[in-house]
Amino acid sequence: MAIPFGPSLSNDEILMEFFLPIAHMDVNIVLILFYGALVGFLSGLVGVGGGFLITPLLIFTGIPPIVAVSSGSAQMAGTACGASYLHWRHGNIDFKMGLILLIGSWLGGGFGVYLAKVLLRAGQFGNVVVFLYVILLGFIGVSMLIESLRAVFRAGAPAARDAAATAASKSLLRTLVERLPWQTAFPASGVHMSVVGPLLLGAAVGILTSLMGVGGGFIMVPVMIYVLKMPTKIVVGTSLFQLLFTTAAVSVMQAGINHSVDPFLALLLIFGSVLGTKLGARIGARLPAEKLRLILALVVVAVAAKMVVTLVVPPGEIYDMTVEVR
Amino acid sequence: MTRWLHCLLFVLGWMLQTPSWAEEPLVVAPATSQIDISTDFTGADVQAVGAMSGPGDLIIKLVGPKQEATLSRETKLGPFWVEGDRVKMEDAPSLLFLYATAPIVSILPPAEQQKYGLILEGVPVRVEPQLKAHAAADWRKAFYRLKEKQGYYHEDDRAIRVFGNRLFIADMRLPGDLQIGTYTIEILLVKSGKVVGRNVTQFRVRLAGIERWVWKTAHDHSWLFGSLFTLLAMLLGLALNAVPYRRTR
Repeated sequence: MAIPFGPSLSNDEILMEFFLPIAHMDVNIVLILFYGALVGFLSGLVGVGGGFLITPLLIFTGIPPIVAVSSGSAQMAGTACGASYLHWRHGNIDFKMGLILLIGSWLGGGFGVYLAKVLLRAGQFGNVVVFLYVILLGFIGVSMLIESLRAVFRAGAPAARDAAATAASKSLLRTLVERLPWQTAFPASGVHMSVVGPLLLGAAVGILTSLMGVGGGFIMVPVMIYVLKMPTKIVVGTSLFQLLFTTAAVSVMQAGINHSVDPFLALLLIFGSVLGTKLGARIGARLPAEKLRLILALVVVAVAAKMVVTLVVPPGEIYDMTVEVR
Repeated sequence: MTRWLHCLLFVLGWMLQTPSWAEEPLVVAPATSQIDISTDFTGADVQAVGAMSGPGDLIIKLVGPKQEATLSRETKLGPFWVEGDRVKMEDAPSLLFLYATAPIVSILPPAEQQKYGLILEGVPVRVEPQLKAHAAADWRKAFYRLKEKQGYYHEDDRAIRVFGNRLFIADMRLPGDLQIGTYTIEILLVKSGKVVGRNVTQFRVRLAGIERWVWKTAHDHSWLFGSLFTLLAMLLGLALNAVPYRRTR
C-alpha cells in the first residue's frame, strides 16, 4: 500500500480465500467447492438434496447457522433444478405424484413455520430439532440398512428377490395406505394408491423443511420406496422435482425475511455440486437399485451416529457464542 | 524494512523541524482512517508509528465497535448434552487488543488499569436478561474466555518495538472476520506508574466494492434479491447440467 503509516492488506493466500458478504467471513474456495461436489454426488446418486449434510458441514466451517441453512436451500434449488432436468430426460419423474407431494409439503411447510414459532417461544427449538434429526435419521437409516443388506445378499436371483419384496410389502403402514379413500393410478410409477398417502408424506416433509432446514429427501426417498412401493429410479427423480420447488420457496423466504442467503456461498456450492451431480447420476444409472439404497442407508446411519456422539460425549466447552452478523 | 526506515526518517525529520513537538510527551503519526473489506479480504495489518519524549513504557489499546453476542450453555439431560440457558451479552466491544512494552500489570497500578480499561476480563458487558451477580459472573467469564479463544481479545507485550527510547512502531494484525464500524486506537505513555501522555485515533472498517453492493441489495430489497437470486441459482444449475448433456447426445 502507498500509505506508509496506515493499515495494509495482507497478500497471503488471496487466491484461495474469498470474503462472503452475508456470512461476513472469509472462506477457502476449494473447501466450499468440495462440499458442493460431495452433496451433488449424493444428490445425483440417490436423490437426496443433502441439506442434512451441507448444513452441519458449513456450520462446522464457522458459517453462521442461519446463513448456512439459507444459502444451502438456494444451492439445493440450483442443484435440484439441474438434476431434475437430467432425470426428466431419462423419464424418471412421476409428475402426478410430484405435484401431490408438493401440495402436501407446502401445506405442511406453513404449519411447520407456525410450530417453529411456538417452539422458539418456549426456548426449545434447538433441542427439538436435534432430537428430531437423531430419531428420524436413526430409524430410517437402520431400517434401510437392514433391508438393503438383505437385498444385496439376494441379488443373485432377481425373480426371487421381487417375490420376497412383494411378500414383505404387506406391512401395517402399507395396509393402511391401501384402505384410504380417493384411490388413483400413478402410471409413471406403476402403482395404484390413495391420494392421501403422498399428500400426508408431503405434509410431513414440509413440516421438517420448516423445522430442520432440509429438503426432506432423506425422509421422502425411503418412504416412497418402502411404503409407497415406487421404483427406486422414479423415486429419485420425483423426489428431486419436489425438492426443487420446496427449496426454491424456502430460499426466497429466507432471503426476504432473514437476509441470510449469501449469493457467493450458494454459487460456489452450485459449481461444486454440478460436477458431483453428473458423476452421481452417471454412477446411479449403472448401479443396481439395492446398492443405491445401501449407499443412502450408510450415509444416513453415519450422520445419525455422528449426531448421537455429539449428544452423548461431554463437550469440552459447554458455552457457545454466536454474534450478530453486523 | 525500507518502510520502517522511511517512517523513522519521516518522524525524526518532523521532530527536528518543529522543536516545540519534542516537548510533547507523545507524538503519533497520522494513520489511514479506513479499512475496506473486499472479496480478497483476509484481515489487515494496522501500524502505529510515533515518538515519545524519553524513556518510558507504552500501552496501545485497540477497541472494536460494540457487538451483541448470544451465549448458550449446554446442560445434561439424562445421558444427553442439550442446549440449556441462553443469554445476550450487550455493549461489549467486538474486539479488544492490548499491546504494551512490558506486561501491563508490571507498569501500571490496578487503579490506573481500571481507569483506562486495560483489563481484558474487566470489559463492561451487560448480561440480558438480568441475573443474580454470581450467575452473571459465570456468563461473563465464559464470554471473556470465548473471546480470547477466538482471538478477539488479547494482550501482547512484544508487538511494540522501541528504538533509542524515542521512536516506536507497533504492528497490529486484525482478523478477517471484523465487525463493521469504528475502531479506536488509544496510545498511552507511562512513566513510573503514571500515564503522562495520551493519544487517540480512529479508523473505520467498512464493506467495499461488490461486497458492499451485495450486502446493501440483500438488505434493502430483500424479497427482490431473494427471488432473482434463487431464479439465477436454478437457471445456473439447469444450464450447467443441461448444456453439456445436450452436447453429448
